[in-house]
Amino acid sequence: MTKTIIQFAILTVVLILAQAMVFNNICLFNVAVPFVFIYVLVRLPLNLSVNWVLTIGFLTGLSVDIFANTQGMNALACTILAMSRRNVLHLYFPREDELTDPEPSAKSLGLDVYMKYLFTLVLLYCAVIFLIEACSFFDPVRLGLRIVCSSVLSFLLLLGLDSVLSRHD
Amino acid sequence: MHNLLDFFIKYSKWFVFIIYVVISCILLVNNNPYQHYIYLTSANKVSSLVFKASNSVTSYFYLHDINEDLQRRNASLEQEVINLRHQIKAYREEIQADSLRMDSTLMPFDYILAGVISNSVSRAHNYLTIEKGALDSIKPEMGVVDQNGVVGIVNVVGDHSARVISLLNPKMRLSCKVKGREYFGSLVWDGKSPHEALLEEMPRHERFKKGDTIVTSGYSAVFPPDIPVGTIISHEKEHDDNFYALRIKLFTDFTTLSTVRVIRNSMIDELNMIKEGEEND
Repeated sequence: MTKTIIQFAILTVVLILAQAMVFNNICLFNVAVPFVFIYVLVRLPLNLSVNWVLTIGFLTGLSVDIFANTQGMNALACTILAMSRRNVLHLYFPREDELTDPEPSAKSLGLDVYMKYLFTLVLLYCAVIFLIEACSFFDPVRLGLRIVCSSVLSFLLLLGLDSVLSRHD
Repeated sequence: MHNLLDFFIKYSKWFVFIIYVVISCILLVNNNPYQHYIYLTSANKVSSLVFKASNSVTSYFYLHDINEDLQRRNASLEQEVINLRHQIKAYREEIQADSLRMDSTLMPFDYILAGVISNSVSRAHNYLTIEKGALDSIKPEMGVVDQNGVVGIVNVVGDHSARVISLLNPKMRLSCKVKGREYFGSLVWDGKSPHEALLEEMPRHERFKKGDTIVTSGYSAVFPPDIPVGTIISHEKEHDDNFYALRIKLFTDFTTLSTVRVIRNSMIDELNMIKEGEEND
């Protein structure tokens, strides 16, 4: 249990720093921005109380906000993501008590369910982020393009991250 | 009482959710750029430390581009020096008797050099962080330029670092004019590309050519007049038909910023005092 907590704490700090220093500077074709730190929220164990998930989500989002000067934007999106995480999982995997491992992963859910789960969460996150941004410039075509391209880019990066991390397990 | 407690425990996740959403929304809505708490921006101690560390590595990547820029700038300055020497010589011959000395109040602007430690170009509101702060006599609302042109305005200042609102931020409006003409408009970023911006409120009866240079107007105490900003690419009509909007290609390359100059105006206190006097009348 303590080992898992320490693992998650290290993962969170590393991902926030990576997001602040590397991924925030990437913007492919001026539309696609990768968000990797939400991986923590995707992987938090399902038996953890929702209040904890919400708190971790909010604080993670706020730290990324501080580095990126986007007051409250990532914090709001992360809170919404943390709240809807379980409902999204139920869409694709209704029988939660059949899970062998409380951590959602490609091993415990099966690869296709996990990929659907991951992509839905990433899409939801990008949609919230860019809708908030759209309050400053409204351009529907560009908005849609940004949401879809950023989701695909983040999804691919997270799958890559997943395969690297799960090899060590 | 017991029931009430049960109710709170049963729906605690909704309460927690609502509290966090409300906090985030307050942060989001409360976005007057001059009233942020410093610890919630990139000018705070921890993040400026992190950015300084990463910048010590990444600042080498842009040296090639910066070198080229500097050489170009150097060449044009050299040419200017030669021209000016020529002029001075001519004037000396003309007025030998005149021994008036330049008053220091005629040159109110001087510069503080600062390194950029974090920068963004891809968001809707872009900011950059510089490694000089209040201890280097940097104050909010000072103008920031680099060797090519205007960069932004300082808004939050810490002891050793400061946050600058980039020109690539719709909260920033810059008073500009076409070089050599008197009409001025305000330059604002439309979020489409980090290399372009719009110069709005230009009078419709004026004709402008592609490639004309845009410079600061000097109608504020922040920037001295005639700092280069960009060149005209094309015309665009505004919603209000009496005005043009011009699309401008910016001289400053925001994707490779590394060293900037902060402009200090020694007359600013005097100017602010005069302005206050105007408002009181």
